[in-house]
Amino acid sequence: MNIKVILGVLVVAVSLYFAVDSFNSNNIEYTNFEQAITMEKKVQVKGVWQSELETDYNPNKNTFTFFMKDDNEKSVKVILYGSKPNNFEIATSIVAKGRFRDNIFYANDILTKCPSKYEGDSKAVQRTL
Amino acid sequence: MFGTLLIRIAFASAILSSLLYFYSYFKKTSTMTSWARMFFHFGVVSIMFSSALMIYFIMTHHFEYNYIWGHSSTDLSPSLLFSTFYAGQEGSFTLWALLTGLLGIFLLQYSIKRNYEIELMSIYSLIYASLLLMIVVKNPFTFIWEVFPADLLKSGIPNVDNYIWVDQAKGIWAQIPTEGRGLNPLLQNYWMVIHPPILFLGFTALAVPFAHAVAALLKKDFTFWIKVAKPWVVFASLSLGTGIILGGYWAYETLGWGGFWGWDPVENSSFVPWLTSVALIHTMLTQSNSGSFLKTNFALSILSFILVLYSTFLTRSGVLGDTSVHSFVDPGMLVYWLLIGVMFMFMIIGFGLMIYRSKDMPKIEVKHTILSRDFALFLGAAVLVLLSFFVALGTSSPIITNIIKGKISAVDISYYNNTALPLTIILALLISFGQLLWWQSSKLDQFLKSLIVPSILSLIGTIFAIYIGVNEIFILVYIFSSLLALFVNIYTAYKISKETAKHVGGSVAHIGLALMLIGFITSSKYDDKKTLSLEQGKSYSTFGYNFIYEGYSQVSPNRYAFDIKIEDGKSIHKVAPIMVFNPQDNNLIRHPDIINLYTKDLYVSPVSLEEPKNLGTDLELLPNLKSTHENLSILYKSFTFEVVKGKGNLITVPLEISENGKKEIINLTMTMEKGNVSYSESNFGKYNLKIKTVSTGADSKSKPIIITVNSSDISNQVNKETLIAEISVKPFINLVWIGTVLLLLGFIITIIKRVKESNINY
Repeated sequence: MNIKVILGVLVVAVSLYFAVDSFNSNNIEYTNFEQAITMEKKVQVKGVWQSELETDYNPNKNTFTFFMKDDNEKSVKVILYGSKPNNFEIATSIVAKGRFRDNIFYANDILTKCPSKYEGDSKAVQRTL
Repeated sequence: MFGTLLIRIAFASAILSSLLYFYSYFKKTSTMTSWARMFFHFGVVSIMFSSALMIYFIMTHHFEYNYIWGHSSTDLSPSLLFSTFYAGQEGSFTLWALLTGLLGIFLLQYSIKRNYEIELMSIYSLIYASLLLMIVVKNPFTFIWEVFPADLLKSGIPNVDNYIWVDQAKGIWAQIPTEGRGLNPLLQNYWMVIHPPILFLGFTALAVPFAHAVAALLKKDFTFWIKVAKPWVVFASLSLGTGIILGGYWAYETLGWGGFWGWDPVENSSFVPWLTSVALIHTMLTQSNSGSFLKTNFALSILSFILVLYSTFLTRSGVLGDTSVHSFVDPGMLVYWLLIGVMFMFMIIGFGLMIYRSKDMPKIEVKHTILSRDFALFLGAAVLVLLSFFVALGTSSPIITNIIKGKISAVDISYYNNTALPLTIILALLISFGQLLWWQSSKLDQFLKSLIVPSILSLIGTIFAIYIGVNEIFILVYIFSSLLALFVNIYTAYKISKETAKHVGGSVAHIGLALMLIGFITSSKYDDKKTLSLEQGKSYSTFGYNFIYEGYSQVSPNRYAFDIKIEDGKSIHKVAPIMVFNPQDNNLIRHPDIINLYTKDLYVSPVSLEEPKNLGTDLELLPNLKSTHENLSILYKSFTFEVVKGKGNLITVPLEISENGKKEIINLTMTMEKGNVSYSESNFGKYNLKIKTVSTGADSKSKPIIITVNSSDISNQVNKETLIAEISVKPFINLVWIGTVLLLLGFIITIIKRVKESNINY
């Protein structure tokens, strides 16, 4: 019985160590551009695409460049490694994961949040009348 | 109106049924059970009718209902229209409640035969009622004018065609939308029709082991309930597992994630209870063989269902916010607290009752040694629970970090991979050892002897992996242990099938899992990816194949297929990945196409289409200096700069332009407004002229203006239509698919066996 308990505790301890360690080192903080610019590490920033500014896909480098405004209205140039994400044009907000270099936000991944299906949207009603 | 009423009737019936069953239990009488039974059935019939009504309204585009307006539209095919029934929150709760009701009819019959009706149905009806309460609060039959009164409610004489009287006596009517908001374009394929119902069936089914555990505790039956509950546990694992796998295949095949698993919160939230349910299957197996793990089985049965509720809370309450590709929208504080309340209620009922009864539970003497199948199964179950704990921890990261640090952060995918890898290695080893050990105790020398052959085979496989370039020690250990699990279970399956074929379920499932584990690594760690610019008609070579983009065709409105020929000298394959472009909102969605070969998948995702551009020639113009281009001569003197109200800054460049004696003055303009620059184009003969850049600073006089001159000659077209595509190779991904089929097959074989075993009256 004793060895069994020790074995069990060992399994739990080792994996707990792995988990806590990974949990801390792989956490990507949610923040805004103003704070992100001072940080070295990878962060995620929520904001909206500024469709009126330059939005361009470069087929040679396979990068997608656009401007994004975070919740504090700070506008930043974003370069995504990849092409324009699915549902980008109809997204109500986007979340960019990446880090700053020379005042440009280099993103590895972008989540597009689709228009809310659950929340009331007067404009949407007006459009469908 | 009628739909809302039906939901409320269903809720009231379920509550009544539960109360009458509890009354029967506490009063130890069966006088009321026929009433309880009747109310339960009545509740199920009500929800069936309200669901049917809902589907009817969806199919006939009744946009006066907010839910239908919000999720469907008139351009959807009948099957997709049907799927909007569960596309949103209200609808998916309705589906969940409906399935719980339907499953309850079978469960009721099942429990009557096994003399478990009163205890089992009292708690099951309560679960059913709780789900119905969700849709009583979040009613799918809410009228649209109740949500948008300011936009839609009007009074007087209706002046539109689409209206409904809200209160004719007072002259109040509501304008009804003629079109719905539609279904997310990404969801518009057949997977949407089959995947969610199967997943919800899994969620539904996990309520049954919970109800069994609670019923057993009420009845003070600590051993026999295992036999009664077992087939349901396997069934729940099977349906939830099928749902998860279908979701993975959907993501891979259609959504273009590039893989089948992304550790997304929504995937995780069904994976976590699945893991605990699989652990439960194993500890139940041990209890029915040796009587141990009595408390573990109660705990896991209760925990699995609580985790379903917790997952629902995570994905429905809005707490995860923006950390997932799936959309979660705050459903309102009422639903938020209702979800928490229901979760805690069942947690208290389940665990509370378990603690209350723990003094009555028989003390089972532990007879097995470390070297026994019992202990291997227990460790396996413990690892599964640990894994589910880590996945749950990662998924809950936004909540945890918010509480601890006051800042929201989510874990990266690497977190899951790092924690899952070591646990999976242990799991694979246990899957091998467990099959080679006897119940209670085994002899060490016998055990080691039986390990020799599979170990040698696995070692050969691992050396082969080193030979083809795998050099990470962790991955090699992973490959070795997965291979060991594979070979041991093939051997076991062979041995069992010679004796009693119906007992082969476990081994088959383990073979499937072992194949999946190998396939996970080969296809997602050793995949390779390249982005190609495929000029139409030209051949490009990569991964040993020639890729030729042949052109695109429109397959249906807004859908374009891009034909790519892939040849490797021996055979020719054709793929046609899809891009869906909606010109109304410029939205773009891509679907990959896949060539499934024996040893790998070629995964082709469209990235973008570069249409032929007439690039033209740039001319630098300096003031009062004549420039020439072909036969053109152009003279530029100065430009004007003015601020036009409402239009922004306007730059006008007058040009004197002549060709073969024909002379004209044309004005090129450039407008700048809030960073948005637009240019005017002017034609002269076969030429088209446009400003490229103008410097407006202090030294603008000395800097040249650059204009672009195009001619309509075809020879001037510089580039051809080019498709940018991402090509990836997924080695041995077939192992994953074969593995999933075997895994599920193993479950099915096991259910058949367990149902037969449970046919006993107590």
